[in-house]
Amino acid sequence: MPIEVLLVEDSPGDVRLTREAFKDAKMHINLHVASDGAEAMDFLNREGKHANVPRPDLILLDLNLPKKDGREVLEEIKESSALKSIPVVILTTSASDADILKSYKLHANCYITKPVGLEGFLDVVRSIDSFWLSVVKLPREARS
Amino acid sequence: MSINAEEISVTASVREIAKRKRSEEAMQEALNSSRTQLKELADTHLAQMEEGRQIAESALRESEEKYRLLLDGIQNYAIFMMDPQGQILSWNAGAERIKGYSADQIIGRNFACFFPPEDIQLGRPEEVLRITAARGRHEEQGMRVRQDGSRFLANLVFTALHDSAGNLRGFSEFSHDLSESKASEVRYRGLLEAAPDAMVVVNVAGEIVLLNVQAEKQFGYSRHELIGQKVKNIIPEGFAERIIADGTRSAAEALAQQIGTGIELIGRRKDGSQFPIELMLSPLDSSEGILVTAAIRDISVRKAAETHLAQMEGRYRGLLEAAPDAMVVVNVAGEIVLLNVRAEKEFGYSRNELIGQKVKNIIPEGFAERIIADGARSAAEALAQQIGTGIELSGRRKNGSEFPIELMLSPLQSAEGILVTAAIRDISVRQKSDEHLARTVGELKRSNDELQQFAYVSSHDLQEPLRMVASYTQLLAKRYKGQLDSDADEFIAFAVDGCNRMQGLIQDLLAYSRAGTNGKVFSEVSAEDALQQALTNLRITIEQSGAVVSHDALPALRTDETQLTQVFQNLIGNAIKYRSAQAPRVHVSATNSVGNEWIFSVSDNGLGIAPQYFERIFVLFQRLHGRNEFEGTGIGLAICKKVLERLGGRIWVESQPEKGSTFYFALPERDEKS
Repeated sequence: MPIEVLLVEDSPGDVRLTREAFKDAKMHINLHVASDGAEAMDFLNREGKHANVPRPDLILLDLNLPKKDGREVLEEIKESSALKSIPVVILTTSASDADILKSYKLHANCYITKPVGLEGFLDVVRSIDSFWLSVVKLPREARS
Repeated sequence: MSINAEEISVTASVREIAKRKRSEEAMQEALNSSRTQLKELADTHLAQMEEGRQIAESALRESEEKYRLLLDGIQNYAIFMMDPQGQILSWNAGAERIKGYSADQIIGRNFACFFPPEDIQLGRPEEVLRITAARGRHEEQGMRVRQDGSRFLANLVFTALHDSAGNLRGFSEFSHDLSESKASEVRYRGLLEAAPDAMVVVNVAGEIVLLNVQAEKQFGYSRHELIGQKVKNIIPEGFAERIIADGTRSAAEALAQQIGTGIELIGRRKDGSQFPIELMLSPLDSSEGILVTAAIRDISVRKAAETHLAQMEGRYRGLLEAAPDAMVVVNVAGEIVLLNVRAEKEFGYSRNELIGQKVKNIIPEGFAERIIADGARSAAEALAQQIGTGIELSGRRKNGSEFPIELMLSPLQSAEGILVTAAIRDISVRQKSDEHLARTVGELKRSNDELQQFAYVSSHDLQEPLRMVASYTQLLAKRYKGQLDSDADEFIAFAVDGCNRMQGLIQDLLAYSRAGTNGKVFSEVSAEDALQQALTNLRITIEQSGAVVSHDALPALRTDETQLTQVFQNLIGNAIKYRSAQAPRVHVSATNSVGNEWIFSVSDNGLGIAPQYFERIFVLFQRLHGRNEFEGTGIGLAICKKVLERLGGRIWVESQPEKGSTFYFALPERDEKS
């Protein structure tokens, strides 16, 4: 069964890099992309054109997003009884202590600063693949 | 300001004179008013008594309302009517005032209630009526009782009232409170004798009419030797001339010019010896014409003191006038005793307008309150709290405008108690420049903050697109290396290298703009621990280079540990990086031999630096070596400099090329509070 990953990311370059990185993944991954926070919530709530999307097994969330900020998205996910069991990996350029602390207080499952170099970035995505999608047992909730 | 004993006594004497002057004026005033009162009393007493009695009689006889009204208006005398048995029928305002009963309270009651109980027992009220009825008129002095029970000595006139047929219809009582006039008589007589000065009363012919005991003593004559004599005998010059009319003016005019001012003349005793006197004149209108009362004071002691005082005051005044500030000396009652010219100018008053006035007039708030004793503390205590500290208050000029002042107080112990010398400085200019400074500092801080923010945001935001460029050129290189031609590979390699360097610069710029911006956390820091942490962070570098890092005992000091660690790390890192062919040796030590700061040093045996670069190496992105020799952007020392400056310290270098360098940095010793 493929693993469903929702990438919330406004930079097409990063989206593409993430896709490139997941190409070598061990598991079969379905990468869904929401380019802003509002769309991410629509996706998660299966609203509008996202009525038939699957429930993601993992969310990769950027913090600085148009429309709805990544922090708000995180807060809404973790306040929703239906969504809060989905692990959220914060993947952002911000290395600020304030962002890190705030994210964990909002129950982010982990926080990763995007490395500046290509190799670093590829390593990170590979780590996510090997840890979150291979090592970790994700909750299997009834998919409706 | 230090005040010596002489100056204190000078101030005290100055005060003494001012005070004496005031008491003379008060005496003169009392003299005048009591004399006037006495004369008025004498003149009006009999007239009013007679008039009042007649009015009372007419009123009863004719029962005319206008007389009642007249009676009612009389305040100084109690006037009322009784029936033949002494029952009260009418009551005027004077009666109410003197006896204390209102008309409602007393009309219908028997006049016996005005007598003391012992007199009532003796049957005095009935006796008075009996005598009056028999004689038609009866006058007496006796004790009477007011409504509140207090007694007073009254002068009373009783008149029997008859109708046209000659039948006794009742009585009138006409009385007044003797204590009211007795007191002022006694006061006047007493005044003349009790006056501390010699007093003589002189007529306009210059002849002595009256004198007191002090005048006898002062001039060595007995009373009878002087009465009727020319005043010129005792005051040869300047007195008689002043009060005698001449062609150009009347005696009254002559006198009017002299009233109330002290005139300094020479007195002559019976034995011919002379002495300085001060004369105070006041006129007395009498049936004999104008009389002049002269208070004569022997001022020989004062004269001598004044000469001394003049010298002393000159010195004190010199001191006062030499002060760059406005100076005001104030007593604990808050009155101005002395001031200098600057104070006159500053406040726009002349000296005479301020001496003796409340200091509140020129410093409305905050000064008088500070020096006046209250329930909680004595004047000395109140003052002790204020000494030597500048107090910022507001001064008020004569024209009402206010200006900011700074006050410095210092106490003067004098015979009269504590005097306070206040140095007053107009600080409007200083305040303006303070404000200007504060504003400028604020603007500077704001623009500095903005710059900081700008540096951070721009380097942070630059990083995003650069990351894209770098990532995709790297992806290109990775995926297509060898698949394109050799030119393409080379071009891509340059692009990748450029991106890498650009990323390095941006990261360093970020690091630099962040350096020291985290709140400074001052705590007791062991420099030893900070050094150990730096060495731990540099472990790999040290191991790879085979460097030997030694150090002396390092102090503990109040500073920010993280930032101190960063400085050690950057300096030791540099010492190892810019090493010569020899194995790197680095030595760290500290000394506080100079002033209240610690000076740390990090010495190496490395490449050394030519003196012309001693300044430049601390500037952001300045490098002395090519990229192919050493990695790095030239950020390390710039960060050290920034961090140290934020910690209140500084950094410099001593070095010789080929021999090695010693980097020094200084950090202040702080106490707990800073």
